[in-house]
Amino acid sequence: MIEFIKTLISGLGLGSIYALIALGYTMVYGIAKMLNFAHGDVIMVGAYAGIVAFTSAGLPPVFTVFLSVLVCTLLGVTIEHFAYKPLRGASSLSVLITAIGMSYLLQNLALMIFGSQQKAYPQYVKLGQVSLGAVTVDGITLLTLGVTACIMVGMSLFINRTKLGKAMRAVAEDRGAAELMGISVDRTIALTFAIGSALAAVASMCYGLTYVYIKPTTGAMPGIKAFTAAVFGGIGSLPGAMLGGIALGVIEQMAKTYISPLWADAIVFAVLVLVLVVRPTGLLGKEIQEKV
Amino acid sequence: MMKKMMSLILAAAMVFALTACGGDKPASTADGTDGTKETIKIGGIGPLTGDYANYGISVKQGAEIAVKEINAAGGIAGQQIELSFQDSQGDAESAVNAYGKLLDWGMKISMGCVFSGEMATVCAAAKDDDIMLLTPSGSSDNILDSNDKAFRVCFNDGYQGVMAANYIKEKNITDKVAVLYQSDYDYSTGLYESFKKGCEENGIEIVEVQTFTESTKTDFTTQINKLLAADVKLIFIPIYAEPASTFLTQAKGKFGDDVYFFGADGLDGILEKVAQDVTIANNVLMMTPFAADNSDAKVQAFVKAYQEAYNGATPDQFAADGYDAVYILKAAMEKAGSSSGAAMAKAMLELEITGVTGTMKWTADGNTQKNAMAIIYKDGTGSLFGQ
Repeated sequence: MIEFIKTLISGLGLGSIYALIALGYTMVYGIAKMLNFAHGDVIMVGAYAGIVAFTSAGLPPVFTVFLSVLVCTLLGVTIEHFAYKPLRGASSLSVLITAIGMSYLLQNLALMIFGSQQKAYPQYVKLGQVSLGAVTVDGITLLTLGVTACIMVGMSLFINRTKLGKAMRAVAEDRGAAELMGISVDRTIALTFAIGSALAAVASMCYGLTYVYIKPTTGAMPGIKAFTAAVFGGIGSLPGAMLGGIALGVIEQMAKTYISPLWADAIVFAVLVLVLVVRPTGLLGKEIQEKV
Repeated sequence: MMKKMMSLILAAAMVFALTACGGDKPASTADGTDGTKETIKIGGIGPLTGDYANYGISVKQGAEIAVKEINAAGGIAGQQIELSFQDSQGDAESAVNAYGKLLDWGMKISMGCVFSGEMATVCAAAKDDDIMLLTPSGSSDNILDSNDKAFRVCFNDGYQGVMAANYIKEKNITDKVAVLYQSDYDYSTGLYESFKKGCEENGIEIVEVQTFTESTKTDFTTQINKLLAADVKLIFIPIYAEPASTFLTQAKGKFGDDVYFFGADGLDGILEKVAQDVTIANNVLMMTPFAADNSDAKVQAFVKAYQEAYNGATPDQFAADGYDAVYILKAAMEKAGSSSGAAMAKAMLELEITGVTGTMKWTADGNTQKNAMAIIYKDGTGSLFGQ
């Protein structure tokens, strides 16, 4: 039983990180109708920004996180402006290939600047182990859970209660109609990239504090898993991304504990296939009826 | 056309540069063509740049110390030796190219390659050449099979795991162990298999086996939970330094102070990987044939020479392997009386050499058996275990 609870909590922690990244995927897909495969690598950049800010520049933790968020936000907006915006009218395949190219560009830039050797993310938050009854868990896992929960609440308030959120929903639903209503589509999409990338920076902080070592390829695997989580929960849906991320993390850790690490990834993707067979739009995806 | 011109110009420039260099180094003007004193050309291959550069550079530097010592003492049978070490970046294809380049240079004897993968392809490519190959550090079991003139300085993986089990028994550390290994790497699974065999022979019980793969090597939470539940005094970790650093970082503070993490040659370099907090590597035991603080006079002389030559750097086991490799080639050539690969390979079987990595004898399959020691890390320094 203790083992089960421990696994569950570590699954929730891992799932929270997936969920934070998946939010970025799903928002961009919902609003710009494109898969931003460079999103995983934005996390890597955020982590390196944190390392430079804290270790090299000696900034205090709060500024380190702030700088990391700032760098990622600027990077996200820049990528959107120079790589994706010129392709707004192009076929979705061209945009997809551009995104993959952007992903490799970021990885190789990091390789050139920081080298291939792993770098340790500064452990500026030291929480140690926390005892919850008979179960001891890493404090950092609980922090990740808390941060993700706060962001989730904040995001749904933003999307549902503010004017900008309303604009984002409008663009997601019908870009043409939104434009006719006086909403600037370009600005809304840029805003989406900014928010998604800022969330990636927060994810990079959680990732760095939990798993410590950062390499130029660090963002690739969590990126793919988070994309899976977004599809799992229903791409385009914010609560879906959250649910998908958490579910994926828990399934992965359970499979590792009770079956074998060798099978963990296979099981995760098998569950994805099953869900898509039963519910093609994902767990919380909206069914969109095409009108003829 | 443009390309051809360019390469011609480059080639011309290179020839010019080479002759220019020759001018101020009298030793290399005697390149054999003018019939005066010939040098014995030894070639080495390994990663000098890229991800695994530390391994290749160590081997090269160790070998250079040996070359310097031998030349100062009069060379082999009056002939000076010359070493050329080519960069392969750890890639098997580049290693074969480098081997060809060394042949063109006039290589008579080969130090083989640093990595197992490289050594396997070069051995196959060189099987018809009359050149002996001696890998300082390629430890995978079957890499020497394609070439009957191929040998190694280090011990092979199939033997290393058994030896690790013997060592645990001999030092009376514990009789209950757990294992964490990487199930999609030959090196790691090979070591685990042979360790399992060794444990059976020594009556050591393996109570828990945990694995991970290349794609799951960032998160060890579930494995650590299982290993903690196993409640053992020793965890065998036959893995490379990089995943080991992640595992140890996540395990820090969770295991008791008397729990050892026992690994093999792949752990070399672990301290640099956890440089941000060296106490992460506390209680790591690393099996090695070479320990820099061994009180043996030969070892101390080597460590001193190495430190003087390379700004106080302490040699690791790869440097020691490279150093021994050159001395072994010297002994084999002296015994054979020529640099012919076939003759030297025959001589190898009759040799018994005590180098800085122990006393070695070879069997026809190219393997050697020698004693192992273990280094234990504490607060950033390694010292001989049980001393």
